[in-house]
Amino acid sequence: MRPVFQVTTDRDSAPWWERTGRGEFAVQRCDACGRARLPARAFCPACRTERWHWEAAEPEGTVESWIVNHQAFGAGGGEPYVVVMVRPAAVPDCLLHGGWRAAREPVGGERVRGVFTPGAGGLTLVDWEPAGE
Amino acid sequence: MAKRLLDFRDRTAVAGVGYTPFTKDSGVSTLTLACRAVLSALDDAGLGPGDVDGLATHRVGDSAPPTLVGPALGIRDLSWHLDQFGGGSVSHAVVGQAALAVAAGVAETVVCYRAINARSEFRMGGTGRALPASPEVQYQAPYGLFAPPQQYAMYARAHMLKYGTTAEHFGRQAVTQRANAVKNPRALMRAPITLDDYLASRWIAEPFRLLDCCLETDGACALVVTTAERARDLRRPPVLVSAAAWGGGESHLSGGPADPTTTAAAALAPRLYGQAGLGPREVDVAQIYDCFTYSVIVQLEDYGFCPKGEGGPYVASGATALDGELPVNTHGGFLSEGYVHGMNHVAEAVSQLRGDAGDRQVPGAEVALSTAQPGYVLPATSALILRKD
Repeated sequence: MRPVFQVTTDRDSAPWWERTGRGEFAVQRCDACGRARLPARAFCPACRTERWHWEAAEPEGTVESWIVNHQAFGAGGGEPYVVVMVRPAAVPDCLLHGGWRAAREPVGGERVRGVFTPGAGGLTLVDWEPAGE
Repeated sequence: MAKRLLDFRDRTAVAGVGYTPFTKDSGVSTLTLACRAVLSALDDAGLGPGDVDGLATHRVGDSAPPTLVGPALGIRDLSWHLDQFGGGSVSHAVVGQAALAVAAGVAETVVCYRAINARSEFRMGGTGRALPASPEVQYQAPYGLFAPPQQYAMYARAHMLKYGTTAEHFGRQAVTQRANAVKNPRALMRAPITLDDYLASRWIAEPFRLLDCCLETDGACALVVTTAERARDLRRPPVLVSAAAWGGGESHLSGGPADPTTTAAAALAPRLYGQAGLGPREVDVAQIYDCFTYSVIVQLEDYGFCPKGEGGPYVASGATALDGELPVNTHGGFLSEGYVHGMNHVAEAVSQLRGDAGDRQVPGAEVALSTAQPGYVLPATSALILRKD
């Protein structure tokens, strides 16, 4: 099992985590140029404006990479566990990490779907499972 | 976009290098390590603390800053100093910035150092220490991803998937560097290894095994940077700073490159080579940031030594061995000499160009490339080209 870490959210990210708590995979949509961005922050990297709104997106993506962790880097991390790197369909120039929710290892490029999972400190995490299995 | 630093090329030089022993438990403070390495580098150059008017380091809250090292060595008037936040990404930036300060006339003699107890006090591998206070951590650590071997293994797998890079490719670089370390009395790991030893080493985070990972090390390394003219009057043959370049990196924030298999070195390399007025074919020896085996392979591609995606086969061909077309990490690198976060790569490049690298000397080495962490994990990188005077 993966180790348990309590992390601190920040003023940019707190509303995003609030939404995962409601089972929503939200992206920020720029009001000026329409570009979607993740993770949460004030400025659009394309047009450098601050106006934006939250938009619920499908928690879908493709597997970019993964690791099978063996070394116990933190408390409770003694057994092997998989972490995936996912390219979300809604924001394809972002790479998100998450836990892997399947008995088999991922396959490069496979389509995956987000799974909302309770984490430490009241955060709802987004793990990933094979789409359509 | 062509950028040139006016009159920078070859105007400054590394005039001395210094080390403490590399160990797993120094038993002393990072301040002590820093002072010992600084004095050792000054002695190598034939100078003393009274000649120093600049000090520069980088750290991640784990070491003694110039404002402590200066007074500790009785250096009262620092006309230039730099205490840069960052790990291996900025290791070469520190030396480049010192060279710029000297070229600009702000300081005449700068000692760059890095001092760490990275095994006995602050483990870079993350084992047991607190998470960094960075906003990015919240998107990784809850999933059990936060240590550099894990982060790098993720990028390495992406490269394997896209280009067919294999464990044997990683292993060949580990074996090659260990063979170099056998010839380096300073190296921590001097027992030869085979590809089978590599493949049999335990998993850390698949696709990485133990022998993909650098050594968490206690130790310090320092370099004296001064004007080329002054260096020519000192004890050792000067090694000229032909080019220094800075770059960005890979971020998980959208709006960045979002390509885990190409590093910021690809964008930095043309600036670096352009400043030096040469290309990868002119490089005789390279010290390439090897926090992990994969970082060597991807940088061989991004610094133009082989086509993109062919770093693995390039290593497997023997090209990076001491007798290959591009000897890489001739001291054994961080995988086998020790990990002083980048400064020991620059020091080895200097040694090769002075011709005093002993059994591991590359015959006739005149141009060296030395590189920093290529911009994963912390989106920044830096590199130097050094040249024999």
